[in-house]
Amino acid sequence: MIAYYTTMNFQAIVRNLHNKFSKILLPFMRNFALNFALIPLMLLAFCLSPTAPAYAQSTVLSPRQVTEYALTLEKLEADFYRRAVSAAQNGGLVSAPQIAKDAIVSYGEDEAKHVTDLSAALRSIGGNPDAITIPANPNYTSILGRDPFANAADFLLAGQYVEDLGVAAYKGQVQNLLAAGAAGKPILAAALAIHSVEARHAAGVRFLRQTLLNADVRPWISTNASPSEVIYNENRSGSPIPFSTDAFDGYATRDEVLALLAPILNVAQQPANQSGQPPQPSRPPVQPSQPTPPSRVSTPTPNRPSAPRALW
Amino acid sequence: MNARKIGLTSRRSLIKWGFLGLGSMAIAALPRVVNAQPSNRGKTLTFNANDIGILNFALLLEELESAFYAGVISSGKVTNAKELDYMRYLGSQEAAHVTFLRSVLANQVIFTTQDLSLNQSTLSTILNSRESILNTSVTLEDVGVHAYNGAGTSMTNPTYLLAAGSIVSVEARHAAGVRSLLGRPTTEPDSERQISDANLNPALNPFKGRAYDELYTPKQIVSIVGSLNLLNNPIDGALVA
Repeated sequence: MIAYYTTMNFQAIVRNLHNKFSKILLPFMRNFALNFALIPLMLLAFCLSPTAPAYAQSTVLSPRQVTEYALTLEKLEADFYRRAVSAAQNGGLVSAPQIAKDAIVSYGEDEAKHVTDLSAALRSIGGNPDAITIPANPNYTSILGRDPFANAADFLLAGQYVEDLGVAAYKGQVQNLLAAGAAGKPILAAALAIHSVEARHAAGVRFLRQTLLNADVRPWISTNASPSEVIYNENRSGSPIPFSTDAFDGYATRDEVLALLAPILNVAQQPANQSGQPPQPSRPPVQPSQPTPPSRVSTPTPNRPSAPRALW
Repeated sequence: MNARKIGLTSRRSLIKWGFLGLGSMAIAALPRVVNAQPSNRGKTLTFNANDIGILNFALLLEELESAFYAGVISSGKVTNAKELDYMRYLGSQEAAHVTFLRSVLANQVIFTTQDLSLNQSTLSTILNSRESILNTSVTLEDVGVHAYNGAGTSMTNPTYLLAAGSIVSVEARHAAGVRSLLGRPTTEPDSERQISDANLNPALNPFKGRAYDELYTPKQIVSIVGSLNLLNNPIDGALVA
């Protein structure tokens, strides 16, 4: 398992995961709202599938695997803000209020710093940050079903989804890092220091939506938040931690996060966007009918039983 | 000042802050608010260097925040609708954290809410204006974030760690939300940090700067809380040594 993960890049992991979803659910994924509504069903189907991979959410990830995963997320976030900065200078966000532009620049700098520092951290534990790649043109249109850089309202909504998910993603890894003992401590310290900054970003974006757009949202996640407020399962039950209440933030596992990001990261099926222009906002360019060619990386054999995890 | 007078002062100040009539904000109990005297600092709080000590320490910070927001609401100094809405939400969320931590700790909790003693003159000063209220809120929330982060790598129970993570990001949202109300940056600039780079524990802080919420040790948090002069109770124990 470990060798498998450390020798393939995350695009391959995402493709692999996405392929499994594609067989069942891709025809339903054209519509964004429907996509959201289906998330719990997708996750359920994933868990119950007889071909569910060995790396289901109960698997313990090593500190290196967590770092590679976190670096993937940070590279994506940094790229997302880079495109927003560009749109603020010469694109759909030119007319965005200055306070929003300031946040874009500031948060983008933070994410870029996370990429730099996590890259160094990954090298220090024997990994190769250059092997962690994202597509040249991630399909951000899949977030809302339209170009998120076209106007401030759409960018801030997409930003809220991305940042809230980032918070949940880091939270979902703290137990893996704890399980690694002393070897996990430096990465746990780094992850904690990043985790709450992502929460500040999420809160800042939410404040801008509330203040500039009169959106019915506050810096924190509402009690029993709807799928139009957060895109992952924030209202997990069966835990002594009351995740569904506004005083407690929920988490997301790596598999859940990568499944949500798959339409953004999996561009193998997308028409190449050679022009570098923003994707057209007409239809989400998710291609439902063509299965991706089999990855050269074979499906891992379930040679390691899933360890029971305390993660609730 | 004899004990009887202190008791009266305490009761009077509670009424002054409206702590006895909080209505929907009411929590089970509130700390005493007293004129600090060397002989009247209240129960010594002893935190052990283990998960239970850390959760008790977190509870102390949540109690301070919860009492602060109760006082804010009662002060009447925050009148802007949005600001008042935030203060009410923050108060109710901190109270939920108190309730949760007391429930998790059960009989291992080392103090009651009424064991805590707040400095009346400090509280009076803080609650005297909207500006000082909101800026103190930012200070308390930022410190809370650094405190939870700093305790995180010392925790051994995975469920406690996840619970701490579930709380700390809400504290960070509070900090960012109130910072936004004030037009301050949502992330904490290095210049506003209470622990400088040189004084950070290097083992806990591979990363530092604006893009990170640095990990402060419990000892450093006690020092910061002490500098606020808000809590009268003496603090000791291996966790904060």
